[in-house]
Amino acid sequence: MGEIKAMTGNTAAAVGAALSRPDVIAAYPITPQSSVVEYLSDLVHNGSIASTLVATESEHSAMSVLQGVASAGGRAFTATSSQGLAFMYEPYYQMSTMRLPMVMALVTREMISPCTVWGGQQDAMSVRDAGWIQLYAENNQEIMDMIIQGYLLSEHKDVLMPVNVCYDGFYLSHLVERVDIPEQSKVDAFLPAVSFDHVVLDPLRPMAVDSLTSGEVLMRYRMSHLEAMQKTLDVLEEVDEKFYAAFGRKYGGAIEEYRCEDAEFVILTIGAMTGTARDAVDYCRDNGTKVGLIKLRYTRPFPQQRLIKALAGKKGFAVIEKSVCYGWNTGPMYVETRSAVSETLSGLSHFSAIGGLGGADISLNHMISVIDTLQASLNTPGQKQTLWLVKE
Amino acid sequence: MNYIQTLRTAKDVVTPGMSACQGCGAELILRRVLQLAGQNTIVCVPPGCLGGSGVVGWDYQTGMEIPVHIPLLTNTASYLSGVSRMYQRKGRGDVNIVCVAGDGATADGGFQSLSGAAERNEKILYICYDNEGYMNTGFQRSSTTTLGSHTSTTPLGSVISGKEQQQKYLPLIMSMHNLSYCATASPSHMADMVAKIEKGLAWSKEGFAYIHMFSPCPTGWLYDIDQGIQIARKAVQSNFFPLWEMENRKYRMTYDNKKPISIADFVKDIGKFRDLSEQDLAAIQSMVDDRYEKLKKLSSEADCNE
Repeated sequence: MGEIKAMTGNTAAAVGAALSRPDVIAAYPITPQSSVVEYLSDLVHNGSIASTLVATESEHSAMSVLQGVASAGGRAFTATSSQGLAFMYEPYYQMSTMRLPMVMALVTREMISPCTVWGGQQDAMSVRDAGWIQLYAENNQEIMDMIIQGYLLSEHKDVLMPVNVCYDGFYLSHLVERVDIPEQSKVDAFLPAVSFDHVVLDPLRPMAVDSLTSGEVLMRYRMSHLEAMQKTLDVLEEVDEKFYAAFGRKYGGAIEEYRCEDAEFVILTIGAMTGTARDAVDYCRDNGTKVGLIKLRYTRPFPQQRLIKALAGKKGFAVIEKSVCYGWNTGPMYVETRSAVSETLSGLSHFSAIGGLGGADISLNHMISVIDTLQASLNTPGQKQTLWLVKE
Repeated sequence: MNYIQTLRTAKDVVTPGMSACQGCGAELILRRVLQLAGQNTIVCVPPGCLGGSGVVGWDYQTGMEIPVHIPLLTNTASYLSGVSRMYQRKGRGDVNIVCVAGDGATADGGFQSLSGAAERNEKILYICYDNEGYMNTGFQRSSTTTLGSHTSTTPLGSVISGKEQQQKYLPLIMSMHNLSYCATASPSHMADMVAKIEKGLAWSKEGFAYIHMFSPCPTGWLYDIDQGIQIARKAVQSNFFPLWEMENRKYRMTYDNKKPISIADFVKDIGKFRDLSEQDLAAIQSMVDDRYEKLKKLSSEADCNE
């Protein structure tokens, strides 16, 4: 066990980043992420870490600086939220298509309009097809652990993709929890120095990076990227096991199943709401309801096979989300979950539940209402109306 | 060694087979800059005429003998900031970190990242080849396009003819970022240009160095392909493109123009200025005169401090 401290999610992210020894940290402040980069700035200015800090004039430049860092063989870290991510989108997309590794804390927040600065997962969900690995943490310990794991995964030779460690703005970013801080020496042993050679900007080894590319060749890049994304499903499980061996904590890989074994039906959650969902499942179990919980930890790559297995033999599912999918009248991960189990979908009762937008609370009663609604519909398979988790 | 001997002996690291237009000013600038920078150099060429003309590469083939990347139109200075910071960390600050970008990637879409990198004093040599427009995409206006210019987004119409605004004067804006080195240069004055590139490379080891270069464009400006150097020379002689540098915060005119020719003389053989109204011509002349006076004042103040 390492040192135990009480800290916010943002501090946990910053400490996780510092332990990973990035060469360069470049960032621009935005609510609710700002204290991540403030904390790291203190560490750099006090000489506690040897990283170079670049305080850029925007998120667009923060990601661009780090693209230069990675192109020159360095380890890179940044953090952002919402509008910052939107502004960053141009180099954000290119970071993945150049297959450059890095970790970015994505402190999830609602997108405007109307004006809002509070939580939600719309920002991360809106960029789910930009070629990044995206994972969601449930608590501050998981944030810190996944930033460290994120580098090992991102820099793996079969992966070479940037990683978003997503966590709920305010609900985690500003919430204080107990965190067991891994020892630096153990992190150093777990995480070797970054090394890759497909993109190198070095006069000792001249290379054209991103020449003008014809469609036939470009398609090979995309095929390779998609194949690596599928390969990542195996690598992330290996990394989870390796982390367990080193630090004694295990998260279950792409999904975590909670009380699913004998469950008749399940609810799926993403991020911090999972804590409330665990309590709701326990409560309903105490009252004889056979409900289970699947925590969707990775959304990119999407864990189709794990979900098929987890949902086998169940009578229904509901996906609870803090984001919307325009055009479907549901949340985005509901669409993907039903797609994942399409072969057995006709026998299942299922629906999308949307709540927590713009920082609204998802209460225990909301979770119980999802469970009750799903249970009441189990005898009539098919899609049910989207359930909005608004104030009771 | 004089500049002619230097250019004769320095290796050209750019592909001989690039597809720039005949008489392209930007190609000339790119080759000269990289000849002087040499092989211990990393260069970025953002989207624009040069990015589009094969100097980065095609599929699996490279367009240069040195490391080259095409970043985004909007992020060249930020991207190179990251590369530069990594080379400082590696203890290889001797590597030249160079950008050769057009006015669109510099003065317009890329200006925010440029201004940010300049303010942070990143160790980069940033060269802008200013051909007054987005020539690679078909000669559209930019913020450095001269008043009255005929471009594909400021056409000669029955209601509005040519660009309605004066150009943005970027080099002076850049010099106010507390740069290590800032200069203007023209391919018509090659000794001056070579000296400034060499200074820029040296200063880029200390901080951000910026050189704004006049880049005549026969295809977009509509003049005969063998007239580019003559047009560049007249741009300097008319004070349309004054040559100066700022070093150690001191400004200095590097071409003492005792008898300027008129703007009317400068524009007369350039197609994009055909149908320039008397009013616009007078407005350009007035702007040019005013700008030259300001530059001279800046320079003389600097001299007084010595």
